[in-house]
Amino acid sequence: MKQITLLASQSIQTPSVAWTGLLPIVIMAAAAVLLLTICSLFPDRITTKLLSIYTALASLAALITTFPLWGKVQNSSEGPYSTLAGAFGIDGFSLFVTMLITTIVIIVCPLLSTFLERENVSGPEPYVLLLLAATGGMIMAGANDFIILFLGIEVLSISSYILVAMNSRRIQSQEAGLKYFILGAFASGFLLYGIALLYGATGSTSFTAIKAFTQQVELTNDALLLAALALLIVGLAFKVAAVPFHFWSPDVYQGSPTPFVAFMASAVKVSGFAAILRVLYVTLGEYRADWQPVIYAIAIATLLTGSLLAIVQTDLKRMLAYSSISHAGYLLVGTQAASDQGVKAVLFYLATYTFMVIGSFTVVAINAGKSGTETSLDSIAGLATKKPLLAISFTIFLLGQAGIPLTSGFFAKFYVIEAAIEEKSYMLAVIAMIAAVIGAFLYLRILVKIWLSQPTDQEDSAKLTIPFEIGLVLAISVVATMFLGIWPEPLVEMVERAIPVLVAS
Amino acid sequence: MTSLVWLIPGFPLIGFTLLLIFGRRLGEPQAGWLATATVSGSFLSALAVFFGLATKPPEERVYEVTLFEWIPSGELSVGMGFLADPLSIAMALFVTGVGALIHMYAIGYMHGDPKFSKFFLYLNLFVFAMLMLVLGDNLLITFLGWEGVGACSYFLISFWHEEPANATAGKKAFVTNRVGDWGFMVAMFLLFFNIGSLKYSDIFSSVIEADALTQTTATGIVVMLFIGAAGKSAQFPLYLWLPDAMAGPTPVSALIHAATMVTSGVYLLTRMNPVLAEAAGWSTDLIWIVGLFTALFAATAAVAQNDIKKVLAYSTVSQLGFMFVAVGSGLYVAAIFHMITHAFFKALLFLGAGSVIHGMHHEQDMRKYGALRKAMPITAFTFIIGWLAIAGIPPFSGFWSKDEVLLAAWNENKIAWVMLLAAAVMTAFYMSRLVFMTFFGEKRWGTSEEEAHDNETEKHEITPHESPVVMWLPLVLLSGLAAIAGLLNLPFSHDTKHLEKWLEPILFGNEVHVNASGQTKWLLAVIAIIGASVGVIAAIFVYLKNRVATSKIEHAILEDAWRFDSTVSSFMDGPGRRSFEATTWFDQNIIDGAVNGVGKITQRVSTRLRSTQTGLIRSYALGMVIGAVAIIAYFVSRMGF
Amino acid sequence: MTFLNLLAASSSQPTFPVIPALVLLPVFGAIAVALTPNARVGLHKMLATIFTGVTGAISVWLLTAFKTNSEFQFLSNQSWIKSLGIEWFAGIDGISLFLVVLTGLLFPFVIVAINPSHDHKAYYIWIQLLQTGCMGVFVSLDLFMFFVFFEIVLIPMYFLIGKWGHANAKYAATKFFLYTMFGSALMLVSIVSLAVLHSQNADTDLTFNLLEIATNPAISTNAARMLFLGFVIAFAVKVPLFPVHTWLPDAHTEAPTAGSVILAGVMLKLGTYGFIRFGLFLFPEASHFFAPLFLTLGVIGIVYGAIVATMQKDLKRLVAYSSIAHLGFIILGTFALNTQGIQGATVQMINHGLSTGALFMLVGIIYERKHTRQISELSGMQKSAPVLAGVFTLVMLSSIGLPGLNGFVGEFLILLGTFTANRWWAVVAATGVILAALYLLWAYQRVFHGPQNPEDEPTKDLTNWERLTLLPLIVGIVFLGIYPKPMLDRIEPAVDKLVSHIEDTIEDGVFTEPVPITQNRTSFSDLLMQTHESHGHNKHGDTHHGDHDEGHDSDHHGNENHSGGHE
Repeated sequence: MKQITLLASQSIQTPSVAWTGLLPIVIMAAAAVLLLTICSLFPDRITTKLLSIYTALASLAALITTFPLWGKVQNSSEGPYSTLAGAFGIDGFSLFVTMLITTIVIIVCPLLSTFLERENVSGPEPYVLLLLAATGGMIMAGANDFIILFLGIEVLSISSYILVAMNSRRIQSQEAGLKYFILGAFASGFLLYGIALLYGATGSTSFTAIKAFTQQVELTNDALLLAALALLIVGLAFKVAAVPFHFWSPDVYQGSPTPFVAFMASAVKVSGFAAILRVLYVTLGEYRADWQPVIYAIAIATLLTGSLLAIVQTDLKRMLAYSSISHAGYLLVGTQAASDQGVKAVLFYLATYTFMVIGSFTVVAINAGKSGTETSLDSIAGLATKKPLLAISFTIFLLGQAGIPLTSGFFAKFYVIEAAIEEKSYMLAVIAMIAAVIGAFLYLRILVKIWLSQPTDQEDSAKLTIPFEIGLVLAISVVATMFLGIWPEPLVEMVERAIPVLVAS
Repeated sequence: MTSLVWLIPGFPLIGFTLLLIFGRRLGEPQAGWLATATVSGSFLSALAVFFGLATKPPEERVYEVTLFEWIPSGELSVGMGFLADPLSIAMALFVTGVGALIHMYAIGYMHGDPKFSKFFLYLNLFVFAMLMLVLGDNLLITFLGWEGVGACSYFLISFWHEEPANATAGKKAFVTNRVGDWGFMVAMFLLFFNIGSLKYSDIFSSVIEADALTQTTATGIVVMLFIGAAGKSAQFPLYLWLPDAMAGPTPVSALIHAATMVTSGVYLLTRMNPVLAEAAGWSTDLIWIVGLFTALFAATAAVAQNDIKKVLAYSTVSQLGFMFVAVGSGLYVAAIFHMITHAFFKALLFLGAGSVIHGMHHEQDMRKYGALRKAMPITAFTFIIGWLAIAGIPPFSGFWSKDEVLLAAWNENKIAWVMLLAAAVMTAFYMSRLVFMTFFGEKRWGTSEEEAHDNETEKHEITPHESPVVMWLPLVLLSGLAAIAGLLNLPFSHDTKHLEKWLEPILFGNEVHVNASGQTKWLLAVIAIIGASVGVIAAIFVYLKNRVATSKIEHAILEDAWRFDSTVSSFMDGPGRRSFEATTWFDQNIIDGAVNGVGKITQRVSTRLRSTQTGLIRSYALGMVIGAVAIIAYFVSRMGF
Repeated sequence: MTFLNLLAASSSQPTFPVIPALVLLPVFGAIAVALTPNARVGLHKMLATIFTGVTGAISVWLLTAFKTNSEFQFLSNQSWIKSLGIEWFAGIDGISLFLVVLTGLLFPFVIVAINPSHDHKAYYIWIQLLQTGCMGVFVSLDLFMFFVFFEIVLIPMYFLIGKWGHANAKYAATKFFLYTMFGSALMLVSIVSLAVLHSQNADTDLTFNLLEIATNPAISTNAARMLFLGFVIAFAVKVPLFPVHTWLPDAHTEAPTAGSVILAGVMLKLGTYGFIRFGLFLFPEASHFFAPLFLTLGVIGIVYGAIVATMQKDLKRLVAYSSIAHLGFIILGTFALNTQGIQGATVQMINHGLSTGALFMLVGIIYERKHTRQISELSGMQKSAPVLAGVFTLVMLSSIGLPGLNGFVGEFLILLGTFTANRWWAVVAATGVILAALYLLWAYQRVFHGPQNPEDEPTKDLTNWERLTLLPLIVGIVFLGIYPKPMLDRIEPAVDKLVSHIEDTIEDGVFTEPVPITQNRTSFSDLLMQTHESHGHNKHGDTHHGDHDEGHDSDHHGNENHSGGHE
């Protein structure tokens, strides 16, 4: 009864909007629209170079706007706040994710401009979609209401469906896009239905309200809520390609243009986990006893499937696809801890993994040659003799993903394990580490090819010309991986201030 | 003067170092002389120390010096220390004395050998190690020498290593010795565990005063020490290496495998007499029984050998058996006495044999000797003295010492005495056989072309010749010693028992005194003499007068020593080797197989899983549905209706 | 002994950051090499020599600067990741001192002595990084830091084997990498669990400080045992201990000579050192609880390794298996849990490094000359290469454990310690010395003795350069055999402290019976005097008739009234 009146009273007012808090999102979205109009006005003036610079600048602007917000949020006098009647929260968490996503866009832009025409993709659409997808991700990060969350997810998903299918000449790309679309729609169905059930159970779609509800009300019959929980998990697990909802990712990764893969492996995962943490840990934290075991199981399945399948692949992109699945497993280990420590670990992992995976796919893209299709394991043979620097940076990314000390990957794993152990899930920790050993075999296979094999084709080393900006991307990724491996303190301090909170309006 | 004790091993060490650096440049014969000089030097310093001790009253005849601490760890503290006392000095004297003579002899014997200097390098190192063994003031230093002499004997046996047989013999010697060393080590552990020190003085004081060892422990220690001693002193069943060790150059056989190294087991047990005294009777009995058996066993084998050195080898084993009988029955003096006399006459015999071999162009088969006394008179003369000594004919040294040992056996038990007497008789017999076959009878060597088909060196006519002075001079000196060494310990009265009086202090009254009247002793001595002469006469009948066909005596089974060696080696090559191979197979296929198996299984599982990735949307969707259903089912199970 | 006043204790140490220098110099060396043009091979070697050489010099200087006491010295401490209580915390005590020195000296030695077959630049980079890793392990006093170094050494070694190894190198390298990584994976979980449990039970904030955790233990016995296993599995693989040893023969056989020398000389010690520093120090109770298991494995390793070594056809494989036997000794000594045992184990680590390192060098030299390591294809080399044979003999004898050479000291102490702890294991283990003689002498005979194969040309003897490079090892082998005292003295305090640390935590206290103290015993001469006076009991006779006491009584009387007279 009380709730109903409360809802009623709310529904009349028009919410106040704190535009500053929404600035990053607004910038990205506006930039996308603007770009579309510009391009339709002057179709032939715009070179891909310009496009990528434009996109990069836009996201840079968005990134910059987050800094004052970050300061504001961390400032004890003000702290996190929400707007749109508590439907959208601005806290350390959302800002951290926003920064991450914008950074990803900035880094990915050069890849687009360099590799897209190789893969016969042209026109402004990719950039527009990239910006929109990023916007969607940022919305997911900040959503304090299931409606908003779903909105964000759909914006992100639909843009990425199209991005995947971008390569209109390449059948795999088309196929991948279709698969991704259908399965994605399928998953969204689960998600939406889950939201509906949850609304039925709690009478609200607002995270704050739901949290309050779960804290105050002791349900005699939680069937509805638990069912909702189940469907939500399914829907969100799909986004992060957790087993058994991972099937799409290998095909999609292999089929779609490499720069997009880099984007998806990083940004989409980031947003996905942002949503998962928001929903499961923050909103439905009261029910952690119910969902923890499920995540536990999914984590194990994801870890093992990912690393086991990775070692029998013969295509670099597929290999990395599966490895990214097992990395999702580690992130789930952190999530499963359902503790602040776990959240920190996940955020740290996401931040570091972003650089390693983008770096890896960049190398793959470079190695993939003019056609952009040479991604077989043998194609990388003898890279060390052809392009030592490239080989070294790839080695660093791979060792990082293998979790070798003094790379950021090691500390990320360490952090996740630490979180899991603090919650006494030792078994999970052990399994995770064993999965790491199995996974190491994958990276060794690639390293052997790079360092200990002779190049299969002595033909064009010319295909390995590395433009400046790509070199820059690689350099940034390498530095990030090494630096955060040796001195993770700064990032650790940052993630510690990025614990998600819910603030009612 | 006693403080010079460290010089005794010091000299050979210096010699070794010099030869190591300049050996090649010195060349022949300077290297040899240098080595001889160093050993003589340590002989002189040994003499000095000896007089230093002798001037003191018996109960003060001990001098300990520690140069530096070797292995300190917790309660353990082992010093690099020397102990000069009646026993060690007695040993040192004859080791260095005989050693010096043999060094000199070797200069002649090794003439023209390409590795001349290296030979003396090893020889010096050996003397050094042997002196460490003797003079060490704790068990670990003794063990240092113990292993050192083992290593040197390995080097020297396989000195002519291009002949695979020699190499094998060297390896066999080392490994067999190691079996003994294992016992030695365990004994040390037991001692340290119960006494907390390996220093002889600590051991003795805590055993004698504090009564630190229970009988069981002492027994264990004694048995383990005996295993060690048996390994070094070639007692049954560990004697196996000694006959093969004859592969080494003859001076080596004389020095290491007759006079010095092989007696170190006897030395060790004598040294540890307080512990033996604590041990249960059966352990000491074990010692003399094994000794007795070895004495007999080896004697029978010696009867049928045709290789002159093999005869001497088996005779050495047999004589060592005599010594162990004495030790086991507590007549340490007798043991040491026989050890010394044996050192003289056996060294003499080996060197004599060496000289013969030298003269016969490295022919060692006695069947190709005969009537050599004319060809090499000095050798023959000295050899005969040695023969009489070992045969136990008075007044030569062997008689006196062997007599004491027989007394020991008598003291233990009468049957033992009979058996040991039998061994003595056989000794007389086979030694006479050797002498007759070599120096008497008609010559069998001139006509060696027909059996020279195999060997290039023997194509030409063999012309035996007397050896050079460097070789026969030591022979003469040794023969003198072999003749008169009996004076050391004449049984007539307490005053004539110099050796006994000399050794008395360090025996801590553990020396057994034979409870037999003077008459019995005389009687036994006479019987011994008769036995010896019987042996000699029998040999005369067989080998000079040819009354009996030699084949009647020299059975094949005797020739290869009751086939014991061949049985052991066939076991080693058969089951032993196979078990090793089995282990290796296990390692490669089971253990490593398991490791690689894990890898293979992982691969297989992966390929299985891979088949889920069909590429078909419907199957993907199906997978998702299954997952979803599973999750929902789980939650349903948790719903509280 | 908390960790704070430990810092105070070490305040008298030099201000110069010794340990950071030790650990980081090689890295700088690697960077320096990396910055030089590929063609300048000589320059690469020179740089590597200089940097590792300076490291070696510093490590030697440690010997003099080291104060002989049980404290950790030269401590260097620096917060690393505050929020997780992770520090750079390093120090050296008697146990790690000589391993640091060995690491410091062996690397420049290898760099000078052995040239890579190809890719010089990369080679010198990797080998220097390897030194950093090993050095780091030996000085780490922070669990996280330790793990980082323990794990990082895999990479350089992987490449050294894989890139400069022989035919089957990729297989061997991968096997080595995954096998050891599997071990350390479990260890990482244990490390984290230990730290977390410690902070929760002792409710302090999270710390990975070894001394902190070890000196005030706060976890339950069972937890400790589980974690102990987590740790020691990693170490067991690294050592390697039977039955997880099979990566070693492959790695050794395929590795280049330098790789084998480092692997045997330093890397295997990471495991054995881990056993002592982390296994025993962190989990005294668990170590005691599991000691029988590891004693057994150690003994099996000794005998089994020796047996398998005997049957090897490849010289390098043979040495590898001999390593397994030697390392069995080290484990044995470690789990004797008493002074002699652990001290012996520590000494044996150094000695094995010298002897086996030298053996691998020699095998490498033989391979260079004969292009084969098959024992059956070698024969009679002593004839044409006497010096090589001589050196080989010396090293072989040290490996056999001949007294007067380094190998014996460790082996003897280990067996002695084991005997006081658990006599039967020592008795069985001692048979290892027989087998050692068997397999090495047999191999030696087949390779050096016997006639030369007429067809192949006489073997070239050691060149002066090779003699020069082998000299340090030989000197070490002889010196440590004759005068190990300086080493033992420096090691002992730390070991004693460790032993008492263990004994304190065992409920029933003593677990190896104490050995009687040898102080103020009667000197030999006094003894002679006494027995001279109270002489004449025929004790031998007595024992013989099974009547034992009489002899003793009489003896006692003798002593009593004598000593009465003395005072």
